[in-house]
Amino acid sequence: MEPVIIGLVLGGLYALLAQSFVLTFITTRTLNFALGEFVALGAFATLAVASWGWLPDVGKVVVGVLVAGVVGAFVHRFLILPFTTQGEHDVRWLLSSVAVSFVLLDLITNVEGPSPQRSDTARVSGTVDLFGTGVSKQQLLLATLAVVISLLLILVTKRTPMGLVMRAVSQDPETASLMGVSPRRVGMGAYAAAMGLAGLAGVLYAATVGASPVMGEPLLVASIAVAIVGGLGSLWGPLLGGALYGVLSQFASYQWGTIWGETAGLLLVIAVLVWKPEGLLGRRTEVKL
Amino acid sequence: MSTIEHEPVTADAGDGPGRHAGRSPSGGEGRRHVRNAIRRDLVFAGLAILIAVVAILPGRSGEGTSISTMQLIASMSAMIVAAVGLNLLVGYTRLVSLGQGGFYALGAYGSAYLALDKGWNPVLAIVGALTFCAVVGAVAAMATMRMRGPQFSVITLILAVLIERILNEGNAFGRLAGYPNFAQHDTTVMKPMTVFGVELLPPMIAGEVATVMVPIVIITAIVVILSRNIARSPWGASLSAIGESEMLASHLGVDVVRRKVAVFVLASVLGGLGGVIAVQAFGHLQPETFDIFLTITIVLAVVFGGSGTILGPVVGAIAIVWLEQSDALNSVSQWQQDTLSDAWFLSSHGLLGVLFILTLFLMPRGIVGSIGRLITARLRAREIDAADASGGLEHTDEELVPTAEPVDTTGALLALTGMSKNFGGLQAVAEMDLVVAPGQVHAIIGPNGAGKSTLANLVTGVYKPSAGTATLAGRDITGQPPHKVVRAGVGRTFQTPQLFHDATVRDNVLAGFPDTGRTPLWSAALKTPGRYRRDAEMRVEADRLMALVGLSDVADLRASELPYGKQRALEIARALAGQPELIVLDEPAAGLIATETAGLGDLLLSLRAQGYAMVVVEHHMDLVSRVADVVTCMDQGRLLARGTAAEVLADERVVAAYLGKPHETGTEGGH
Repeated sequence: MEPVIIGLVLGGLYALLAQSFVLTFITTRTLNFALGEFVALGAFATLAVASWGWLPDVGKVVVGVLVAGVVGAFVHRFLILPFTTQGEHDVRWLLSSVAVSFVLLDLITNVEGPSPQRSDTARVSGTVDLFGTGVSKQQLLLATLAVVISLLLILVTKRTPMGLVMRAVSQDPETASLMGVSPRRVGMGAYAAAMGLAGLAGVLYAATVGASPVMGEPLLVASIAVAIVGGLGSLWGPLLGGALYGVLSQFASYQWGTIWGETAGLLLVIAVLVWKPEGLLGRRTEVKL
Repeated sequence: MSTIEHEPVTADAGDGPGRHAGRSPSGGEGRRHVRNAIRRDLVFAGLAILIAVVAILPGRSGEGTSISTMQLIASMSAMIVAAVGLNLLVGYTRLVSLGQGGFYALGAYGSAYLALDKGWNPVLAIVGALTFCAVVGAVAAMATMRMRGPQFSVITLILAVLIERILNEGNAFGRLAGYPNFAQHDTTVMKPMTVFGVELLPPMIAGEVATVMVPIVIITAIVVILSRNIARSPWGASLSAIGESEMLASHLGVDVVRRKVAVFVLASVLGGLGGVIAVQAFGHLQPETFDIFLTITIVLAVVFGGSGTILGPVVGAIAIVWLEQSDALNSVSQWQQDTLSDAWFLSSHGLLGVLFILTLFLMPRGIVGSIGRLITARLRAREIDAADASGGLEHTDEELVPTAEPVDTTGALLALTGMSKNFGGLQAVAEMDLVVAPGQVHAIIGPNGAGKSTLANLVTGVYKPSAGTATLAGRDITGQPPHKVVRAGVGRTFQTPQLFHDATVRDNVLAGFPDTGRTPLWSAALKTPGRYRRDAEMRVEADRLMALVGLSDVADLRASELPYGKQRALEIARALAGQPELIVLDEPAAGLIATETAGLGDLLLSLRAQGYAMVVVEHHMDLVSRVADVVTCMDQGRLLARGTAAEVLADERVVAAYLGKPHETGTEGGH
């Protein structure tokens, strides 16, 4: 039971980050490979205002979310969008987002130094007992947030015209712009929301492991894996993917050691992609000639 | 189809331009092509070897001062080999792999581990490691077969991360102590390998000549030479075809699945070879040097130098390694600290990131690609004017004499029986029968959504039929994939021209030859004498085909620079290069102006006169009436009427299908 509970809780963190991959993918067909650095960015932005006594913790978290979100919107506008202009085979954005990751990582390291710094903002200490397994409250908070935010996103896209707008922009930006929808603005909005999410995850995660420039890097691969297992086109995908990935990797590392935990998770991705390239909850699109 | 073998017979018969009239390059033109090609290849190979040798001359006496230079050259060589391999994937096949660093690590660790821990002969250890890279590459290729774009990149990235983690955390590789290490091997440096009695010493100790540099630079030069041969061969053309569109590639007779596995394996082996070079030159491995940064640096080398060019990865690798190892980046970083801020500055990794972004903005074709563009742009400026002046398919340059042999129309060339195709609940094609005799032009008409294009796609194997059979010249081709149907003798053009937009008109036609799908890799890489002859033969035949469709004067323009009508003509020429028995033309007149449509009609008639059978899916009734022997009208996936053009157009049901039934308000649908 223990690996299942821990795995589910851990999967929550990955799911939260996977959700930001899904958000950018369903609107712009791009993924931000610099996501790990946005996690660190959010954590450090909150850390920078941690000493402001007049600002409540919620306000400090919001600062982290906003900084990551605003930088994310600009990255999309100036470094992603210009590299998506050559049709669906165009993957220059992928390279530019990797380059952004190098630049941000280097900059954060030079400014803040490589070693982890303690972050107390939004820390909930202690553990709760879940079906006989002790789970840290902080991780439980992350997992709960992942579920709540996913449900909110699904609700918003189902119940408001925003969902339609997002789908329209991703399917055919040109036609969408003829209908008065600006793909550029929707893309920037999606990146702002997605990177804000990454920043949020960063703030909460930093409370457990401390803020460091490389804190997001191990999360990047796992959360991309989760997003792909669930299906990059589905907002439900990260929840399913996170649960599967979390439980499987925990189970494997309990059984055979840490190194197998991650390996098992990544092998899961390969297995899913071979069987269903669009992900478990993704929908297949037929190519028409 | 065995038309290649038949070719000389037809040519010798000398009955004028009959069908398949590929002239063998016995003429002076062909021999000139061969001579020029051999001269160019020899010059390139000679220069490559010369540069390689000159690069290691400073180390010939083994002076201590030359060690760092030799190490730099070795790092460059390793990066060049890995980048050249990656370029085949990223540049030509347009599969952006982020996993090359993983194969580099596999080659490095694999060859070291087999030699040291397993005690293999060092040469065997290298072969073993490269074989392992090939196997991993093949498995990865098969796993990613249906993926393109970001999914493919993510999987290859995950693979590289997985390999890095295993090497970092596997106890056999010494973890942070590196490999080899004192605790496990009593040494931190690999023993130099000995080949044919010569000890290959790494550039490490002053006074010793770094003999290993000789094989390193020679192998690097050979890799560059062979990759150039591959890139310029029909095998290379097939990679570009896959990069453009897999559907197009399969219609050029390329077995896309096998070719993608082959190129992935080739790239993986070259990635591994890069790692092998690194071990031989440095003798020690640290797991943290095989991180994500390495794999991205290889991609950067390809993109920075110019992906999809022959010299691009070479130039890029040299530049990136030099930047990383020289003081250039450090001094920029120092300058920022001095003048801007000692906290907000970028050091080498960040600066490489900036360089990457600048490359994408300013030189998306990389150094080599951009320079190449500049040179050709000037040469071509005038020719483009010439192309704009003449419209398109207005006339054919070559006067065509109908073939003397009467066309044998007794047997059916193509026969479809009970052909059906369902998409979910929608029946796009329902129990269609269709017979096309040799040399016959069979037009398929019908209102939009009648299933015409679906039928064409069923013939060439784009879709598998839900029911029914298809035979070509008596052979069953039901449900065969496009490359098999094409090889059986069916050519194809598309509703919207599918061309290699960046390639010249001539290269587009050349890609149509069966060689694109059939040239084996070894013959492409080694460039046998037969290859030279065949290349010349193809060039002569391509010239003839371009003349036939009126493209001779624009042969060296890029396809994207052609007016629409000429793009259609080019597609037809490319289909003809495949030496088909039957050509399927999907709406060839769509988007053409009236004079171009008339020119197309002339061309189709002349092709018919040469004995080609055709299936023409078309809306233009004028064109259909002019060229078709038989017209089939489809409606809602079913056969509505069949006969001569006049009979079908007079049919009340056909009129009703197009214009709506009399009691309904007429919807304008026909042309």
